[in-house]
Amino acid sequence: MKRIACYAAVTAVSLFPCLPTFAQDYSGRTLVVGTWGGDIERLLREHVAGPLEAKTGAKVEFLLGGSGDRLSKMVAERNNPTMDVTFQNIYEAPSALKEGLVIAPDAALVPAAADVWAGMNDGCYAMSLVGLGIAYSKAVFPEAPEWSDLWNPELKGKMAYAPYPSSEGDGMLAVAARIAGADETNPDAAFAKLAELGAPMLTYNSLDEVLTLMDAGEIAAAPMISGYVISNLENYEGIGFVFPKDPGPVLVRDMVCQVANSPEPELAQMFIDLALGVETQTAYANELNFGPTNSKVVLSDEQAAKVINTPEEVKSLLQLDWTYVIAQRSDWTDRWNKEILGQ
Amino acid sequence: MNQTPDITPTTTALLVAPAAVLMFGVFVLPFLFLVVLSFWSQVPGSLSLDTSFTLTNYVRIFSDSYYLGGLWTTLWLSGFVTLICLLLALPLARWIVLHAGRAKGLLIGISILPLICGALLPTLGLVNLLSPLGFINGALKSMGLIQTSLPLLGNITGVSIGLVQAFLPLMVLPLINTVERIPHDYEKAAMSLGASPFVVWRRVLLPLMLPGIVAGSLLVFCAALTAFVTPQILGQGKVVTFASLAYQQAAMVLDWPFASALGIVMLLFLALAGLVGALISRRLARAS
Repeated sequence: MKRIACYAAVTAVSLFPCLPTFAQDYSGRTLVVGTWGGDIERLLREHVAGPLEAKTGAKVEFLLGGSGDRLSKMVAERNNPTMDVTFQNIYEAPSALKEGLVIAPDAALVPAAADVWAGMNDGCYAMSLVGLGIAYSKAVFPEAPEWSDLWNPELKGKMAYAPYPSSEGDGMLAVAARIAGADETNPDAAFAKLAELGAPMLTYNSLDEVLTLMDAGEIAAAPMISGYVISNLENYEGIGFVFPKDPGPVLVRDMVCQVANSPEPELAQMFIDLALGVETQTAYANELNFGPTNSKVVLSDEQAAKVINTPEEVKSLLQLDWTYVIAQRSDWTDRWNKEILGQ
Repeated sequence: MNQTPDITPTTTALLVAPAAVLMFGVFVLPFLFLVVLSFWSQVPGSLSLDTSFTLTNYVRIFSDSYYLGGLWTTLWLSGFVTLICLLLALPLARWIVLHAGRAKGLLIGISILPLICGALLPTLGLVNLLSPLGFINGALKSMGLIQTSLPLLGNITGVSIGLVQAFLPLMVLPLINTVERIPHDYEKAAMSLGASPFVVWRRVLLPLMLPGIVAGSLLVFCAALTAFVTPQILGQGKVVTFASLAYQQAAMVLDWPFASALGIVMLLFLALAGLVGALISRRLARAS
């Protein structure tokens, strides 16, 4: 045993010059990472923060909350940021780059970024792929519905939505616009079509709240993001989830960003590199049903069926012009309040 | 109380200074910033702020029927919740003072529980009670009293139940304090002169309880006006209150100037309620 340890030590020392910046000693330094709590934090601690702390001697501190809070924090701390890495929604990432709050994705800084599917890094690095599909009550829909099936007049007022503004709401507006023969750049068509579904029966604050009512058939369907929903389906026999075909599901991405002018840029890049690496991305897919963005991840057939993980699948997804959408946020929130909720 | 001679104004100022500095730093300064921010605006399509003076945010609030509707809903909902709390707290406070005996401390403790355990947990508990598949609808269905679920969530009914549950202690405590100071003999004297129980309440007890009623009503009204968690969860997005609008603009739309203006308008109504309460209290003090 001692001999093995000795060989290992000698090997490590002889390889020292070849090691990347990881081998530097960052003892006493702290990397601050803003992300969502729950399973995401757990996975990041296990697969990213733990290995990074072990390799560098630095400490990783997580700041938990919603992505809107983190965007506010970046704006407020523009001249003196305290966060080094932040996880944002796709609709926030391009505008964060435009505002100079984050550093543009660069494979020279984060090698794993080169393995991310082409076109996915937008504003920040693409962390995971999920699609906006339909969670539906099997009592209401014996067969998995298409988007257009939701416009059955008998179902008016039986939908549930996430609070707006959100990627679910924007995605649903884009779908409604397409059903009306337009796209999201025609908000009049989008809102008029979505208003036909009536005011939602529920604006849900938690998944359990909406899934319990859907399981009982009180709620017909809800536009929902895959991942969490798929993980929850085993608890509810009366609920199905489908990625519709016409149009395809709306592509929603979680992004991981390096904050501009942050105190620990090197540690931030190492953290992001580990987050985009095969091991973390595989865990995300297997444990959370979040599709990997790293093209080198190999999943079992059973798991691959549950997540978006191939370029073909990505191509079939509806991609929105998020820079345009986020610029409409204030107007669309007023319109959502009045034309959708206030019917 | 006699002031001890060695306490000079300088000593008093020094003793008050730490708290004053703290209050100025963590309350007054942010509040002033909120006021200033409400006269700025968001650069359209950007996260940046335009720091030139504008009344746009206030014009938007008072010219848009949606925001005026939200303001009106918040005001009358707060008034309604105050009234219900008063109707429930009057007999409860009196009963605790007169008949609880040794259990008085325990009952007061139970009364203030909603204040201690915060808004979130009781509200989530109420969701389970009030939902279409919840305990109340389930019980009524199993007794054959209703066929379809009563809508107790996502409407004024559900939000009112939640707010009354949360703020009843704010009415009960001042009333207990007031009732304790009313001599029991007054009531007996009125009864001996032929007053019915209703007349005793109307002519003797209520006038004597007024200071407690004013204090409790002011507390409940202000708490209901600014409540966020309860209307947000029990209203399910269908009951528009000013606090939920401010949250939506601040945390989700990230339009801080407009959210600040919403906050300032709400604070003005709180100040107005405080002023009315102070005037009534002063008049009552003079009358007594």
